[in-house]
Amino acid sequence: MEILVCVKQVLESWDSVGIDIPGSRILIDPSASYRMNLFDEFAVEEALLIRERLPGTKVDVLSVGPGRAAMAARRAMGMGADRGIHIVAREETYTDPFVISSLIARYAEGRQYRLILTGVMAEDDLQGMVGPMTAQLLSLPCATAAVRERISEDRSAALVERELEGGFREELEVRLPALLTIQSGINRPRYPSLSNLLRAKGAQLESVQADALCPPENRQEVIRPALPEKSRAALFLEGTTEEKAKGLVAILQQAHLL
Amino acid sequence: MKPSIILIAEHFQGRLMPVTFELMGFAGELRKLVQMDIRMILLADRPQRLAEEAAGAAEVDIAAVQVPGLSAYNGEAYLHILKGLLHGAGASYICVPHTSQGWDFAPGLAAALRAACITDVQAVEPDGERPCFVRALYGGKVAARVRPNTEPTVVTVRPGCFRPPARPISTGTVIVTKAAFPPGMMQAMRIRPPEAGDPGLSQARVVVAAGKGIGKKENLAMIHQLAELFSKAAVAGSRTVCDLGWLSSRLQVGLTGATVAPDLYIACGISGASQHVAGMRGSGFVVAVNTDRTAAIFNESDVCVVEDLTRFIPAFIKAAAAGGAPRAGGARGDCGTE
Repeated sequence: MEILVCVKQVLESWDSVGIDIPGSRILIDPSASYRMNLFDEFAVEEALLIRERLPGTKVDVLSVGPGRAAMAARRAMGMGADRGIHIVAREETYTDPFVISSLIARYAEGRQYRLILTGVMAEDDLQGMVGPMTAQLLSLPCATAAVRERISEDRSAALVERELEGGFREELEVRLPALLTIQSGINRPRYPSLSNLLRAKGAQLESVQADALCPPENRQEVIRPALPEKSRAALFLEGTTEEKAKGLVAILQQAHLL
Repeated sequence: MKPSIILIAEHFQGRLMPVTFELMGFAGELRKLVQMDIRMILLADRPQRLAEEAAGAAEVDIAAVQVPGLSAYNGEAYLHILKGLLHGAGASYICVPHTSQGWDFAPGLAAALRAACITDVQAVEPDGERPCFVRALYGGKVAARVRPNTEPTVVTVRPGCFRPPARPISTGTVIVTKAAFPPGMMQAMRIRPPEAGDPGLSQARVVVAAGKGIGKKENLAMIHQLAELFSKAAVAGSRTVCDLGWLSSRLQVGLTGATVAPDLYIACGISGASQHVAGMRGSGFVVAVNTDRTAAIFNESDVCVVEDLTRFIPAFIKAAAAGGAPRAGGARGDCGTE
């Protein structure tokens, strides 16, 4: 059985994000560091757990982005994924999720993946679109926010638990091939092992130029980014740690909260 | 066909969800910018009663689509039926609540309709002659406006951002049609209700919440010590802390956990991503402690403390004791603030 896990590289910290003064562009510090999207770590781990349970399973991992995005695929290989693919795309501060999904779908088409996993959303844009859109483009059934999955021994179907609001859970059965988006907390992602990291470092990733996959035009764009309005007073305390502590005590006592 | 704004109703276990009415409020805001009719679609095996309730809430006509066998939400069925109803139907804007149902089918629907798709929309604003949609990026640090470049546009609307419309003078009409349940690859089986929430959390007057910034499980001790300064206080956690097993998931505050509205909410080492904020926005007074001055949580706070919590919390506890703060449940000391 072949599994494809789609992973995204995101900024290590939002400290590296700023807005230019006219408020027309998002600026990313060129020396910023990056890591794998947290939700995708859970997806990679889930694929590895499936491989451990069902012999003969292979896990491919795919990352879309500029040169630096290959690191996310290598990290997944460090966790134990068998093969890495890097779809090389231009550096952008915002990419239309439909374009990303189209790239993934065009790569995956005809490759007989029985299961495709993505994280439920990316921590940077919080959109949650690439998984379901990719599923639609590949005509695969899709269930989002999976907190539990169990593939049948004959690999024909998966019993999936989706997380709903307020702690409710929905149980459903999905016939394979299918795409699932993975919610955090489904497992505990393993740290890459030294041997896997070394193997990943030297491994040849399959590198595909995005243009070779004929991406569609953007259907949407980000304009006028800004810092959000504050919904509350947002009083910043100043001074030493001790001064701030005393200041907060006074404020809370004044408000009869302490 | 005249371009229109289409709303997709949400119901769960036989009840119309409040987000359905908020969606009508969103449509009202959108209609200020584009002159279009508003219509709602409701899918269910027995849609009549739900559709009448929706029609009574706003001057919106409801297409009550009866789908035999659709007794509970099924993402595949929704996607297939809505695709069929909306393809070529002249919808300019297709609006869906940003919920576990909405984000499940809306993106796939957009892909199928060759539509733009903008999720988790918090506001709608003019962009020249057309609307653009405001949503958060980078964990809430940036508010971005997204401009669709094509039609239709599928929008998922964040709960709690739009007011339901005031009671209308006349109600919408309900038209019942039928659609077949598509044969498919997904079968909804059952809904599991949540474990009982922590009663302490829902009744607490003060909630002290720990996020990823506490660094390690051992630092929860100071979170507990902080909570002990107050009467009727409870300790809670962000999703990350509960996923790591440092706190029981019954103590998770957020979109998929508990919603709390205590008099005082102290967020320690919490970045303020929208999923967490959704669970505590109604709090009376919010104090946040975080080392990142630009953390999104500070946009939702009354008092902002840019400090390492492992240094600040002990300093606060010390200052509270020295300042003669009343002990939990006890009489007031001579605080000297009157």
